[in-house]
This record gives sequence, C-alpha cells and structure tokens, in this order.
Amino acid sequence: MAEHTVASFDEDLRQISRLINDMGDLAASMVGASTRALLESDNALAQRVVSDDAIMDARQRELDDRAITLIAKRQPMADDLRSVVGAIRMAGDLERIGDLAKNIAKRVGSVGVSAAPRDLTHSIDSMAQMVLIQVQGVIQEYTVGDATALAKLRNDDERIDVKYTSVFRELLTYMMEDPRNITACTHLLFCAKNLERIGDHVTNIAENAYYVLTGTQLPANRPKQDETAMSAPAA
Amino acid sequence: MKPMLSTDLNVAETTVEKAKIEVKNLNFYYGQSKALKDINLSLPERSVTAFIGPSGCGKSTLLRVLNRIYELYPKQSAEGQVLLDGKNILDRSQDLNLLRTKIGMVFQKPTPFPMSIYENIAFGVRLYEKISKAEMDSRVEQALKRAALWSEVKDKLNASGLSLSGGQQQRLCIARTVAVKPEVILLDEPASALDPLSTAKIEELIDELQADYTIVIVTHNMQQAARVSRQTAFMYLGELVEFDRTEKIFTSPREKRTQDYITGRFG
Repeated sequence: MAEHTVASFDEDLRQISRLINDMGDLAASMVGASTRALLESDNALAQRVVSDDAIMDARQRELDDRAITLIAKRQPMADDLRSVVGAIRMAGDLERIGDLAKNIAKRVGSVGVSAAPRDLTHSIDSMAQMVLIQVQGVIQEYTVGDATALAKLRNDDERIDVKYTSVFRELLTYMMEDPRNITACTHLLFCAKNLERIGDHVTNIAENAYYVLTGTQLPANRPKQDETAMSAPAA
Repeated sequence: MKPMLSTDLNVAETTVEKAKIEVKNLNFYYGQSKALKDINLSLPERSVTAFIGPSGCGKSTLLRVLNRIYELYPKQSAEGQVLLDGKNILDRSQDLNLLRTKIGMVFQKPTPFPMSIYENIAFGVRLYEKISKAEMDSRVEQALKRAALWSEVKDKLNASGLSLSGGQQQRLCIARTVAVKPEVILLDEPASALDPLSTAKIEELIDELQADYTIVIVTHNMQQAARVSRQTAFMYLGELVEFDRTEKIFTSPREKRTQDYITGRFG
C-alpha cells in the first residue's frame, strides 16, 4: 500500500498495528504459560501469567487511546478506517484472552499435584495445543494479510468445540469413577471451558481481521458443535 | 433501507429507483481539451448524490453540464445526453430558462443580490410567475423556512441580503433556489467557505431537502460527502472512476484509485 501524503498518518497506523502484534504475542505466551503451569503445577509460572495480564490491560488502554486519537485527528476512510476500528475490536478480544489465561493460571494451586494425575490432564494438554496454534496463527495471518487463511482459521475453531465436548465427557467419566477427582476435574472443566472461550475470541479476531483486509464480512453462520450445551449448564 | 445500487459494475445502475437524471456517454470540451470522458451515471430521484475527486477531475464541470450553465462561456461544448425525466436537456430545442427553473444551483461563495432579503427571493419568483403580494409574502416565508433561515430574518426582511453572515447568506441563496420550486438542486461546494456551525446547518438543510428534491453536491470535504449523500461518484482526470452507495465508497471502495484518494494516499 502506498504511503499517505501525510507521513505521520502512516506512523500512527504503524504504532497501532505494532500494539496489536505485541498483544497477540503476549496472548499466545499467556495461553501457553497458563496451561503449562496448570499441567506442571508450576505456581511461579502461574504468577507470571497473572502479572502479564496487567501488561495486557495496559496495552489495550494504550491502543484505545491511540485509535481514538487517530480517528479524531485523521478521520480515516476505507481500509484505514477498517484497520483502526478492527484494531479496537481485536484488542478487546485479545484482552479477554488474557483474562481467560489468567483465570486458568489462578486455578493452578487449586487443582494440585496429587489430585491431577497425568491421564486426567492429557486431553486438556492437547486441547491447549490446538488453541495455542489458533492464537498464534490469527495474528500471524493478519500481519501477512492472508484473508483466505483467516477464513479457514475461523472454521478450524469448530475442531476446538468438538474437542471441548470430548474433554467434558472424559472429565465427567473421571468424576463418576472416583468422587475424589471431583474438585480437580471441576477446575479442569473450567479450564477447558476457558480454552474453548479463547477459541471463540480467536474466531472473532479472525472475522474482524478478514473484514479489515477485504471489506466484506464472513457469512454469519459457522457450524457450531458444542454438544455439551444440551447436557450441562454454561460454565 | 433503500434498494442498494448494483455492486457488479464500476458504474452502478439504479434499476429499482426512478432515475431523475441520466447522463449517457457524456463528453465535454474546453476548446480542444477534453474535460469529461464518456461519463455514464444515473441520479436517483429525491436523494443526494455527491461528486468527489481532486481539483481538475471534472466534478464541477459535470455539475455545470447538468443545467447547461457552461454555455455562458465561449468554446465550451458537451456531447452525449443528459436526460431529465427522460428528456435530453442538451437538445438545442431545450428552453434554458425553463431548464434553470427546474434545476437550481448554489455556488461556493454566497451570491446574494444587493437588495433586501425579501427581494432576493421575490426577484427570482417574479421572473417566472405573476402572483399577488399576499401569495408572494407566503412564498418568501415558505422558502425562508425551507432554508431554515426564517426565524433569524423574519423581523428584518427589508434589510439588505448582504448584511447577513456568510452562513446566512448561503442559506438565503438556497431559499432563493427553493422559491422557484425546482426539481433538482445543484450545490457546488456550498459549505466550503463557512464555519463549522453554518456548515452543520447547511448539511441539516440538505438532509431535509432531499425529501422533495433531487440533490447533487460537489465537495472537497470527504466527511461531508460521507455525511450528506446516499450515493457518491469519484472522478479522476475527467473519468468517472467509481459510483456506488456512499457507505460502500467510504468503507470499502472497489477501485484502488478511489481508495488512494479517500485515504489520502494520492500522488
């Protein structure tokens, strides 16, 4: 894309996309660290995620300030307008991803080492990997401007929903097998739900990024397969 | 929601809405130099169309063809068709006085006549109609009300039109245009010499007037075009580059040249 006649406009836009990139990197690192802390009962790592969330919040406030100022000063149009409004919305989703990662990290102490045997956490681990790939991918594809990849990435969230359903059933089975598992499994269930929610935020980001890049919206209906909705109240 | 313009073509056509003005294969020359190149577009009735583009792109020229005001100047000529309700106004048989009662125009600089506020409006009406004093009083009042100026001038109708502020003068010019009951109003940068408050009043006025008139506005202020118009035409170097719903033009234009211009990346 050609430079603006007013060079400082380009600089303003660059700063906003730099912040989105930073927040994306931070979100991915928080999601990775929080699940690792959970699976390895690493309290120090969990603490780091909690303090990272404060950084995430600060970045979002900075981005909001910059975006609002840019709109007031430049009255952006077309792709500029879409990228600024898109950045505000994507930052909101990234901030929520940070909150959810923090929530996972805060459960580390509660799940405990002994109460969370390996086989119990194995499914959560693979679900977390799927979510992490999505979080990393969405910012990556947005940065390189690949709308097709974003549309695919948005649809890939379905796999996380399916995974969540199976994790839910698995944890339910463990709880029925041995009531001593209930406390740990409940926390893990919340973690799984948080991961599933992170996937939804990634979906939102992918939709926004797609709109920013193309100027058209992805179709509203994406197949949903969270079958637990019928058998469990929303967490 | 009004019917959408076609998005398949660069020059979108209004198929559902009635076209008030249709421009067909229009070329325009200043002497030897071609200022408009094969323009085709259709302006829907009772709605606001904006022409935008950099200086010299032909937008004002196109506006000036719509009421043949260019004929006041030598060596200017138009080829092609401009259909007003299906009738070609470029035809030699077209009565120019009649045409200009149907198509009023307001210019960038307010141009009140050096006479009273009342006479500024009555003068034009008298050229075309013979009406009683009472009817004229009512016509002047109606026109000033339409132009949202009545409350500010009703106690000084005999004061000179030139005594008004710039924004009031411009609304007086709009009142003068409206008084002869036109069908189309052409606005050439109507607010570019006005302060923000007067500009807002003019924009509010445009919004109200589109219920009764077909309005075409030329403006350099893109936010203004985005605010007041329902469809926007982007012109560049005498060509119509893109014509579409205003929201579409300003959020996701199809043409790169449009995009570059409205985002400030030109040249």
